[in-house]
Amino acid sequence: MLNIKELNVSVEEKQIIKDLSLKVGSGEVHAIMGPNGSGKSTIAHTLAGNPNYEVTSGKIDFNNEDLLNMDPSERSLSGLFLAFQYPIELPGVTNASYLKQIVNVHRKHNGDKPIEAGEFLKMLKEKSSKLNIPMDMHSRFVNAGFSGGEKKKNEVLQLDLLNPNLVIMDETDSGLDVDALKSTSEAVNQLRSSKRSFIIITHYLRLLEYIEPDYVHVFQEGSIIESGDKSLANKIDTEGYAY
Amino acid sequence: MTGSKTNNCSIIFSEKIDIKNAPDNLDIDLQLINDQITGYINVTKSKIDTIINITNLRKKHFNLNLNIYLDEDSFLGLRDESEYNFGSNIIIKSKMNKNSIFEYFRLNSFLKTTKNHFIHDIETSSNCEFRDFNFSNGSDEMHNKTSVSLNDENASYVGSGVMISNSTNSNNDLLIKHLSKSAKSDCSFKTVSRGVSRVSFSGKVFVDQDCSKTVSNQISKGLIMDETANINLTPKLDINNDDVICSHGAASGKPDESIIFYLKSRGIPHKQAEKIYVEGFLGEFLNKISNSEMQQKAMKYISTHC
Repeated sequence: MLNIKELNVSVEEKQIIKDLSLKVGSGEVHAIMGPNGSGKSTIAHTLAGNPNYEVTSGKIDFNNEDLLNMDPSERSLSGLFLAFQYPIELPGVTNASYLKQIVNVHRKHNGDKPIEAGEFLKMLKEKSSKLNIPMDMHSRFVNAGFSGGEKKKNEVLQLDLLNPNLVIMDETDSGLDVDALKSTSEAVNQLRSSKRSFIIITHYLRLLEYIEPDYVHVFQEGSIIESGDKSLANKIDTEGYAY
Repeated sequence: MTGSKTNNCSIIFSEKIDIKNAPDNLDIDLQLINDQITGYINVTKSKIDTIINITNLRKKHFNLNLNIYLDEDSFLGLRDESEYNFGSNIIIKSKMNKNSIFEYFRLNSFLKTTKNHFIHDIETSSNCEFRDFNFSNGSDEMHNKTSVSLNDENASYVGSGVMISNSTNSNNDLLIKHLSKSAKSDCSFKTVSRGVSRVSFSGKVFVDQDCSKTVSNQISKGLIMDETANINLTPKLDINNDDVICSHGAASGKPDESIIFYLKSRGIPHKQAEKIYVEGFLGEFLNKISNSEMQQKAMKYISTHC
């Protein structure tokens, strides 16, 4: 599904990612762990096409297409989803209106008619309930005044609504209390399938206790320095990144 | 609005002046002489709120000189959703007696090549409430000047201005005079400026020395969509009493690229992302419009023009 080859990425002329190569197959869950400033979020934003991240060399194939030639919106429509570490606030636009628009833009891309108001409301209720999101949150402006936990839940809700096949979760666990972490993880686990892959970026083991990864990669100074299975995450949790 | 029922009437300006369904509590005298419309509207107390819908269908420059008088405990809603295709020169003087409410909506489209001038002076008494909402797209020459005198205790003003400018110009001046204690004012101005637009907003709040317990908020924000567009926001405070709560803020700049990226990362194409962003920026204060019908119309205006 995803094949990153010898990727180098700079931000404001400072190289962050160095010769990164990573393959993610269909249905696989990869966890990327690493200390602050190691470049984990840079990978997430590079994959999503953030214009502030400059790819200086390398290649990324996504479902046999050249991801680097695609606009961020094209990447999303092709099935890539980034759950932001710091979801953006959008004052003046209600969450319900925003969610309906993102659903419809994907429906249009798939050749479907815009969703009916009643059908959307039913879907929104059902998916919000899985995440313990109260419906009145959707009448508020997007992420404006939301707590850290509400913002993260709103990201997972969008993931559920858009049905992507590659999900990048950038520190979704930060800002979540124990209950929210559990309900969010349960919602993510329900979305796991043989056709959907995950890249989970996190500092800590606790998220990976709920969402079991197939592979764990340790990131330092812009490169993967070690890969393994979940036992590697346990080792980091016990010994830290300086093991 | 004060009650649940309303009397809706209309004034249509064309080659003549057509007044329809005026209720008993409304005294209207308007004269059309040499292309100049002059007259008055007097509103007296009624159990039913009075709403006047103004429509300008004149095929030439629109000149209006109007005096509005609200009696004690009266309500007037004035709504103008006209297209001004030949320019306009409107001067209104309003006097509000105690406990009256005046709600003025302007959702107008102006032809770019026209000249438009609007002056409104409002005098309020105790416990009056003046609500002023103006949505405009500007023109080659446009001046909006509103002066509100909060003369007696507990008078209040709430107003929002939205200017969506696409290579048009507009100068907007607002003066709010707190001349008695415990008066409140709340003003927000937002503009989106494209092309070679020039938009200015000057909002002055004056608080006289005897005006304790004044509460005044003013915010103005501008979004510059092109390098050639220009926005000038000038908040001014002249406060002569220490026992007040006054705030003001002004900010203008380019669109926040992180918001555009967030929207694009959800599959929304660039142009649509920009439109959603601008609509949100302009619609942020629409919750100040308590009338849901007019709030919907304001949202539609923004969506159509931005």
